[in-house]
Amino acid sequence: MKKEIQNKLTYLLFVYGLVCEGQERYCMTESLMSGFRALDLTDEKGLICGKILAALGVDTIKIEPPGGEPSRYIPPFINDKVDPEKSLYWLAANTDKRSITLNLETRAGVDLFRKLVRSADFVLESFPVDHMANLGLSYQELSQINPRIILTSITPFGQVGPYSNYKGCELIASAMGGVLENTGDPDRPPVKEALDSCYFHANVAAALGTLTAHYYREMSGVGQQVDISVQEVAASRRTIGLIGWEFDKLLLKRSGPLNQFGRQSFRWIWACKDGYVYWQLFGGLHGASANEALSRWLDEDGIENPLREIKNWREFDMSTMTRDRSEAWEKAISRFFLHHTKKEIAEEGLRRGIHSCVANNSSDLERLPQLKARDYWTSLPHGESSLNLLYPRYFFLSNVTENFIKRLAPFIGKDNNVIYGTELGLSDAEMTALKELNVI
Amino acid sequence: MLSNGEKIVGKKGSASQALAGVKVLDFGWAVVGGLSGKYLGDYGAQVIRVESATRPDLVRATQYVSISSTNNLDDKPWFNHINSSKYSLTVNLKDSLSQSVMDRLIRWADVVLENYTPGTISRMGYGYEYIRKIKPDIIMVSGSAYCQTGPLAHDWGVDGTGATSSGRLDLTGWPDRSPVNPSNTTYGDSVLGMINPMVVIAALDYKRRTGKGQYIDAGMLDVSIHQVTPAFLDWQANRHLQTRAGNRVPNASPHGVFPCKGEDRWCAIAVFTQEEWESFCRVIGNPTWTKQAKFASLKSRKSNEDELEPKVSEWTKNHSAEEVMSLMQDAGVSAGVVQNVQDLFERDPQLKERKFLVSLKHPVLGVIKHPTPPYKLTKTEARVRTSPCIGEHTEYICTKLLGMTDQEFIALLPCLV
Repeated sequence: MKKEIQNKLTYLLFVYGLVCEGQERYCMTESLMSGFRALDLTDEKGLICGKILAALGVDTIKIEPPGGEPSRYIPPFINDKVDPEKSLYWLAANTDKRSITLNLETRAGVDLFRKLVRSADFVLESFPVDHMANLGLSYQELSQINPRIILTSITPFGQVGPYSNYKGCELIASAMGGVLENTGDPDRPPVKEALDSCYFHANVAAALGTLTAHYYREMSGVGQQVDISVQEVAASRRTIGLIGWEFDKLLLKRSGPLNQFGRQSFRWIWACKDGYVYWQLFGGLHGASANEALSRWLDEDGIENPLREIKNWREFDMSTMTRDRSEAWEKAISRFFLHHTKKEIAEEGLRRGIHSCVANNSSDLERLPQLKARDYWTSLPHGESSLNLLYPRYFFLSNVTENFIKRLAPFIGKDNNVIYGTELGLSDAEMTALKELNVI
Repeated sequence: MLSNGEKIVGKKGSASQALAGVKVLDFGWAVVGGLSGKYLGDYGAQVIRVESATRPDLVRATQYVSISSTNNLDDKPWFNHINSSKYSLTVNLKDSLSQSVMDRLIRWADVVLENYTPGTISRMGYGYEYIRKIKPDIIMVSGSAYCQTGPLAHDWGVDGTGATSSGRLDLTGWPDRSPVNPSNTTYGDSVLGMINPMVVIAALDYKRRTGKGQYIDAGMLDVSIHQVTPAFLDWQANRHLQTRAGNRVPNASPHGVFPCKGEDRWCAIAVFTQEEWESFCRVIGNPTWTKQAKFASLKSRKSNEDELEPKVSEWTKNHSAEEVMSLMQDAGVSAGVVQNVQDLFERDPQLKERKFLVSLKHPVLGVIKHPTPPYKLTKTEARVRTSPCIGEHTEYICTKLLGMTDQEFIALLPCLV
């Protein structure tokens, strides 16, 4: 308990900028990007970009077709009940956004959108290529309304190129990006990574590209379009494979729980008593202390220990590993991990400095002391219901600005009155008429 | 002008580089550190990488390909890929002489990047407290495995640590097998390597408006959990503990990877809507099994996937992966070849047209391909320069950038290694 309090105190001191003596205390009421606005037209391919911008303080308005954005129907749902207000997928991806409904398939809807573009800084979209142009909302048209606008487009294959009109989803982008081929057991088909991994990474790339364009816009007054291909973002991760092909014509393939670094390969995922553990063997100075600590622990466990043959771990060179040595070491280390539980490896491994990591699941995450100590979770009530769920509270911490996730993802059209009434000045009668015409 | 003829742009410099004028002092190392500064450099920031020949970057020591040797720090193409568009300064921070160089560099910089295990940069003498005293409005970003506080803060981590600790690993693989990680493909490193520069740019913009710098604490665990939040919410709301599901997802079927003609060739196919299912059936010639009630709706296909998937494979195995993709795409069904690195490198016309790879000349490795940043700005394109050899720009940085006299530079030479 004492340690928990100590951890919490360190965290609070850090967050409130009191870590070093004499440092002034900032009043953290602002976020990094407060005062800017994004119009978010994306579906599941691009929701996270807006979520990141919203966490940075950008007023991110999710623009949904009347009835709600189709990705509100992606499972899982609260109580497994299909309901557009209860998709946990959607709730995770839209925190801190506001929501208005707007039918862009109508002339009046497009006109309203153009009005919103006047005061917006960013437009985010993930439609099939040319869809925005067919609506009269291409970058060129948007920039005539607002030359400072930044249009960020997130699509499976990007805005140009022979596959730009190909249909895709996370699995397809992962396949075409070369990541899928590199994941899985050799005796089975390639296997995808967790959930929407490639979308998430592509959306981080989109946020980075959007802010890069923003920086330039603020210096020059000129907006532009940012073009994100989910395939290309995935392919950018395959640099080790690419150099293997370029230099040695090697196809470094998927190898299950082993890594595959050409001349430097070894197992890195190990079964333990009640789950799995990650432990990577490194050579030289980098791996010396961890290798030594693990070898010592093997000895203390009374496990036959071939690692003992290394006298100076600082001089241990991975490229000198023979197949026989690898097999003997893997056998011994496998036996060792199978002796221990996740808890033992997490706690005792940390104390000994073996630099292993246990494979957490959602239940483990909920209890992880590291996250508790950092006030990582925030509880957001689901509307009027008594359901309170924990969400990650931030992407990073700052000692000056507050970039916290504070609001539940919006209900469908929750902010129609504020945006259309107060901001665009539509009367109640006009809004009613637009509703009847299925525009909002 | 630099030796290679490139001009260093000023604060209000060339309009064609988005981040022209931004000055970055980069203590980054390994993959996250490499990428974080690289993206800023590729888009025009001036990035000075602080290196040491006696304690070189981990990636400068990798020997993944035959051209890489044990006795040359400049023959590592992986380092090239993830450290493009930087300048390299070698300096021995343990030498007391080095402080005058570092202090001048801190005054020069708008941004300091580092990603050592928490506590290391302070022990080296360049923690935020020190840097801030010299440059009060500095923006400093630390990007580690577990962030700067908490019981795991001082544990050391790599890409796989991020996947494992965040829950991503437990969700990747087959239900009856060990979880798996991509065998040589980064994820957490790549994601945090983009979060860091993104925050830098947001903080630069904040400083433009307020005059304030700040310190940012980012980490792979904290960022990666966002990716698996739907599973975490499912656990809390429904007590469903999601685990590995192969290639299956709840809202599409078939949704998988199917064998094609050739050795280890596969095509991924994903059918979400009823319309797509009907198109899919047409492409495979409407065999009678597709008319069975057990495959009629998404719900029924989901219940019979063990039976459905081999039937799809029966058809795909008679075609090349490229044919399957092309036939499916023409019919409006999501499909894609499971491309290998040769496909990415040589064949894929889409990546080629988008200039995914550019050829750059490196003094040791010759002309080699580099990935360009995978986010394209249409008016201010990235300009990727080859990565520096170790210490390549030490003299330029000291004499031209920091304005040292030749005598000063010579006096400092013992620490510039």
